[in-house]
Amino acid sequence: MIYEIAVGQGAHLVSVTRQGTLLHVAIGSRTLVVDARRVGDMTLSLLVAPADGSAPVTSVDASLATQRAAGDFDVHLAGRVIPVQVRQAGGFGRQKKAGAAVGAGPQRILAPMPGKIVRVLVKAGDEVKARQGLVVVEAMKMENELRAARDGRVRDVSVAEGQSVDAGATLMVVE
Amino acid sequence: MKKILIANRGEIAVRVIRACRDLGIGAVAVYSECDRAALHVRLADEAWPVGPSAPRESYLRIDAIIDAAKQSGADAVHPGYGFLAENEDFAAACRDAGLVFIGPTPEAIALMGSKTAARQAAIKAGVPVVPGTEEPLGEQTSDAEVLTVAGRIGYPLMLKAVAGGGGKGMRMVSSAAELPAALRAARSEAQSAFGDGAVYLERRILAPRHIEVQLLGDHHGTVLPFVERECSIQRRHQKVVEESPSLAVSPALRRQMTSAAAAVARTVGYTNAGTIEFLLDSDGSFYFLEMNTRLQVEHPVTEMVTGVDLVQWQIRIARGERLDLDPESLLIPRAHAIECRIYAEDPENGFLPSPGRIQGLRVPHGPGVRDDSGAYEGGEVPIFYDPMISKLITWGEDREHAVARMKRALSEYEVRGIRTTIPFFQWILADDDFLAGRFDTTFIDRKMGTPGSGTLQVIDASHEELAMVAAAVHLFTRSATAAPAAEPISVWKQAGRAEALR
Repeated sequence: MIYEIAVGQGAHLVSVTRQGTLLHVAIGSRTLVVDARRVGDMTLSLLVAPADGSAPVTSVDASLATQRAAGDFDVHLAGRVIPVQVRQAGGFGRQKKAGAAVGAGPQRILAPMPGKIVRVLVKAGDEVKARQGLVVVEAMKMENELRAARDGRVRDVSVAEGQSVDAGATLMVVE
Repeated sequence: MKKILIANRGEIAVRVIRACRDLGIGAVAVYSECDRAALHVRLADEAWPVGPSAPRESYLRIDAIIDAAKQSGADAVHPGYGFLAENEDFAAACRDAGLVFIGPTPEAIALMGSKTAARQAAIKAGVPVVPGTEEPLGEQTSDAEVLTVAGRIGYPLMLKAVAGGGGKGMRMVSSAAELPAALRAARSEAQSAFGDGAVYLERRILAPRHIEVQLLGDHHGTVLPFVERECSIQRRHQKVVEESPSLAVSPALRRQMTSAAAAVARTVGYTNAGTIEFLLDSDGSFYFLEMNTRLQVEHPVTEMVTGVDLVQWQIRIARGERLDLDPESLLIPRAHAIECRIYAEDPENGFLPSPGRIQGLRVPHGPGVRDDSGAYEGGEVPIFYDPMISKLITWGEDREHAVARMKRALSEYEVRGIRTTIPFFQWILADDDFLAGRFDTTFIDRKMGTPGSGTLQVIDASHEELAMVAAAVHLFTRSATAAPAAEPISVWKQAGRAEALR
């Protein structure tokens, strides 16, 4: 089985094949031999070693949490939280080659939680810089500023100040 | 005292339930609509609904809570912290209903709740306060008058709400030109948060430490101070890491600060648990800041270094017992303790709240670790309340040991499905200045403003590779066979299936 997995700044093809009781996981030119035991619905104990014997066997306790979009997971391992996105091979589409930066194309600014729109800081047509504040949402007694992930131009603003929004509602699109 | 109603939710309600259990006293929970399955409801002996999810319609409803107390037959009420804990009307309503309020008198809450009255009490006790106005500057006070007073105090200064707390209605003013706008903003914020637009002015101490002294006072005239807590690590004026003792406080300074704190409490005839907050200047001079007339969030660090159960003592004091602890032992810390407040916020994304279902939870254990939590696997973090889900506390033989254990515990702590501030604490605990004890209340703002501090977690290529392996193996082993060979079939599931076939 081949998966396309985006992590950090890159996307990679990852193939998994069964070899007896072990799994062989190939990422690019590297092959890892994995002894996997499922210890919970979303938790795996992994013993991982490079197929070429260049490093000792590493014990990795990994747990996953599903995110809102299908195929998106937070992977918890080694005291860290690492977000990954998994698609069937080719699932990230033609516009993005493996290894290209994740997240090109229009960014939809979504309400991360149910709340109230306190301020809309930009209007359609505005040029925005990466990390520039776009809209302020109030929830959990706090005001939260949602920012642009990268430079772009505001296309649609679908909310107004004072409006209540559900989690996942599209607030605006930046392209 | 046979039964205590806990007028709170979350980790602090759980903490109080545990103290009740330890004393053989019944624990009554109250809950809002969204908290029906919250941990404090599950652990209590009884639970009573008090209204819809919005705090104003449930946990802040004095009448509904008094009603629940009467119906349940409780003889005392513990307010926890937040919500009604520092509301003198609630304390008075409990007294009027014949319930013991586990906290100070309504009069003490009212007196110390006014920042200017509290400053006057400190001055009366001979304790230095930050130079500033002794009288509230009410809504009628003109801008010109405030400017004159400000000129006498000197800039930069702090503009604060008389009824304030939690950083609301607070502004830093660096020159006379900034004052009118800051005054308007602080007044409107204070008016909407506390229903009182009165403010006062204080000189701004440039890089102070926030040091506080825990106190207990009984009904027989005894007030005992405890070794200090260091609470300088703050974000948006909210404490996030606390420890005891403070590296900045020598035994001699500890004597001075704890005596000063006890003097303020005695001046106002204070009873039960309370905390005096001080600002400690870099030259070793300290100033009274305010008094919190309740149990503090960070009380566990004091419990860890003194061995005293503060919540149990709150209850024992309220039922009239004498505070017969050895005063000397409370001032000599047993090694070191540190606490991190775990919030349901995404620190990698501007500390955006991250409510939702906790899909999985792995709580750290082992030597010197304590987790005071209101969370459980499968539980929901609602959007209506403070986002703190737990407090992680570690104890060590010295500061280095306590910090090493905290790092270990944080790396074991997994809260899956929502994002938490755990990576933020890993980042703080890796900072050289933090480790060396070189910090003040501006630490977080300075560090987070530094270029290159964009991401908190150190995730290198090998971690990313392992994350891909884990995700791929998870999907592969789940889809390869209906029941993966590696997963043993649970005997409970088998029993359940057998049951269903009967």
